[in-house]
Amino acid sequence: MDDPTTSNVERWISMALRIGVWSSAALMIAGLLAVWVSGSASLPPSENLSPRALLRMLFSSSVDGVTLIFSGLVVLMLTPFLRVLTAAIGFLAERDLKFAFVSLAVLSMLLGELFFFLR
Amino acid sequence: MTLTSLLLLLLAGIVTGTIGAMLGLGGGVFLVPFLALAFGLPMHQAIATSILAIIATSSAGGAMNVERRIVNLRLGMTLETTTVIGAILGGVTANLLGGDVLTKIFAGLLLLVSFMMIWRIRQRGMEEPTHQDGVLAATYRDDSTGTIVSYSVRRVPAVMLVSLVAGNISGLLGVGGGIFKVPSMNIIGGIPMKAATATSNFMIGVTAAASAFIYFAHGHINPLIVAPAALGVLSGSFLGVLLGRKIKSHVLTWVFAIVLLIISIQMFLR
Repeated sequence: MDDPTTSNVERWISMALRIGVWSSAALMIAGLLAVWVSGSASLPPSENLSPRALLRMLFSSSVDGVTLIFSGLVVLMLTPFLRVLTAAIGFLAERDLKFAFVSLAVLSMLLGELFFFLR
Repeated sequence: MTLTSLLLLLLAGIVTGTIGAMLGLGGGVFLVPFLALAFGLPMHQAIATSILAIIATSSAGGAMNVERRIVNLRLGMTLETTTVIGAILGGVTANLLGGDVLTKIFAGLLLLVSFMMIWRIRQRGMEEPTHQDGVLAATYRDDSTGTIVSYSVRRVPAVMLVSLVAGNISGLLGVGGGIFKVPSMNIIGGIPMKAATATSNFMIGVTAAASAFIYFAHGHINPLIVAPAALGVLSGSFLGVLLGRKIKSHVLTWVFAIVLLIISIQMFLR
């Protein structure tokens, strides 16, 4: 029997996962190095761990180590979303409507939950 | 937080990630108690940290296993429909419970995991045969034997139910749940162990992401704790896979099963 060959959807999913995890790791490493170079690791106080406070940090004009680290964490948390979206697009491209629908159902649950808890 | 603490967290991630990968468990089973007992981190923060580390290791491993076609993509997507529901319910439940209650539940989980580890040693080589009369058929190349393995999946609804429970455990306690899910996928669904392990690991990233935002919304994600621990677990998981190929000792599994038993007792008494 011949070796199974990798399909387009598998290649795209693999690429989406690699992009997500390695860009997130790069941001976190850069952030940790920035914290190390600045010599202080002043954490946002625990009351500032609220999603609003952390998300505000992302859109502030100054970029420091903690902001870079947090950006990396956001990219990491969104990587599975990207992977499911890629699967939906891949299955659609392969005209596999059943699994495109399954992927979209999973994505809808994830997005619904995301907006419900962060609203 | 001091720079020494950052380095210690990185080291904790590397050690727990390495041990987890060597034993075929995720890092969470070791990382959560380590953060809670050694670093005195509140239980919810320890679980949230582990969930983020799981996303990192699942994504990195998934990228490789999808390309090598060991992951049954269609099965994974099907099971994610129930595992995501389980994880959301688990995440919501965890945030309604106090840290003390979660610690006791986690101690119970560790007790079960240590028994499962010993059971798995006895089950080795007793894998369920593959079937061709099911659905979601897939084929992959087994590099260890050089053969092409074809199989199909039986009793999909029952496997979906197992995934719902595994997702719930994951969202509640910040572990992958593969130690329960993989043998069930093999015994109930007739999925070869390699495909079951790869598919389970691939799915767990989405499961963990489902509960991650619940912990985030409740303010349990501390960037300076999560980042070094997650990076440590990620690098430890690669190291563990490399070491695991060289060290194949039942003794190691026995030693860590006993270690988990001791940690479980410590958490009960905490």
